[in-house]
Amino acid sequence: MVEWLSTYNDIMGMYNAHIITTIAGAFFVTFAVCICWGKMVETFGPIGGMMCAAIIVGTFWVMNHKLPGFGINPEGLTAADGKGMQFGLIAQTGPWVDMGWAIGMGLWVLSLIESKPKDRLPNIVESTPRLLFVILGGIIGGAIVGLSGFTGAELFGWGNSPVFGQ
Amino acid sequence: MKHVSTVIGSAICGALVFGIWPEMWKSYGIMGGWLAATILISIAWFMNHWLGVITNSDGRMWIDQGWAVGSAGVAWAIVRFYPNQLFVKCIPALVLCLIGGALAGVAAVAVKKSVPAFQTQADDSDKEDSNG
Repeated sequence: MVEWLSTYNDIMGMYNAHIITTIAGAFFVTFAVCICWGKMVETFGPIGGMMCAAIIVGTFWVMNHKLPGFGINPEGLTAADGKGMQFGLIAQTGPWVDMGWAIGMGLWVLSLIESKPKDRLPNIVESTPRLLFVILGGIIGGAIVGLSGFTGAELFGWGNSPVFGQ
Repeated sequence: MKHVSTVIGSAICGALVFGIWPEMWKSYGIMGGWLAATILISIAWFMNHWLGVITNSDGRMWIDQGWAVGSAGVAWAIVRFYPNQLFVKCIPALVLCLIGGALAGVAAVAVKKSVPAFQTQADDSDKEDSNG
C-alpha cells in the first residue's frame, strides 16, 4: 500500500497518493460550498456570501492549493528525484487546475439532480450556452492577465519551476 | 446581451483571481492566499451572483463563477508560461477535480434530504409552489 501510494504514475503525471487527495480535496470544498453557502446567504444576506468567500474559499484554498513559502518561489522546490513537490491536496500536473472547476461542477450536478426529472434535459440544453460563455469569459480574463508574462518581468524566478515550465 | 454580461463578469472574475492571488501568496505567504480569497471572491461573488451579472434564473441549472476561475487558471498558465505549458498536461488533474466535484454534488443532494436544517426550507418552497 505504502509502495503504491508513493509510486509516481506516469500516465497521470502525479503520485498515486495524489489521485486520492485530488478527488478528496475537490469533494471537501464543493460539499462545503453546496451545503453552507446558500444557508449563509439566507441567514446574513449579501454579507453572508462575502463571509463565505473568506471562510470557505479562503480556508479551503489553504488546504487545496497552499504553496508554503514567503517571498520566494515555493513551488520551485524539487524533490531528490527532480519532480516538483506538491503541498496542496489538488495536484498540479501542468497548467493550473483550480478548485473552481470542482465547485462549478458540484453546483451544476446539484441543481441537475434537484430539478424535476422531466425538466432535466431541457435544463441541460438551456445551461450549456451559459456554461460555455462563462468558460469563454474566464479564458479571456485569464489570458489577458497571463500576457504580463511577455513583458520580461521576472521577479521570483517562475521560469525555474518544475511545475510551471522548465 | 445576457451572454455579454456573463462573459464580462466571468472575465473580470478570472482576471482578478489570477492577477492578484499568486502575487498575494508570494508576498504574504499562506495568509496572503487566505486574504486574497477574502478580497477577490467576495467582490466577484457580490457582482456575479448577488447582483446577477452571470445569468442564473430560478429553477434552472446553477452556473457558478467557479467555472470562470477554473478556465482562467488554465488559460493564465498557458499564456503566462508560454511555451512550457501544454493543455494536455492538466487533463488528469482536471478530470479528477471534476469527478470530486460531481461526487460532492451528489452527496450534497443526499445530505440535504436528511439534515433537519434543510427540511423546513423544502416544505416552505413546496407550499409556495402549490400556492403559485
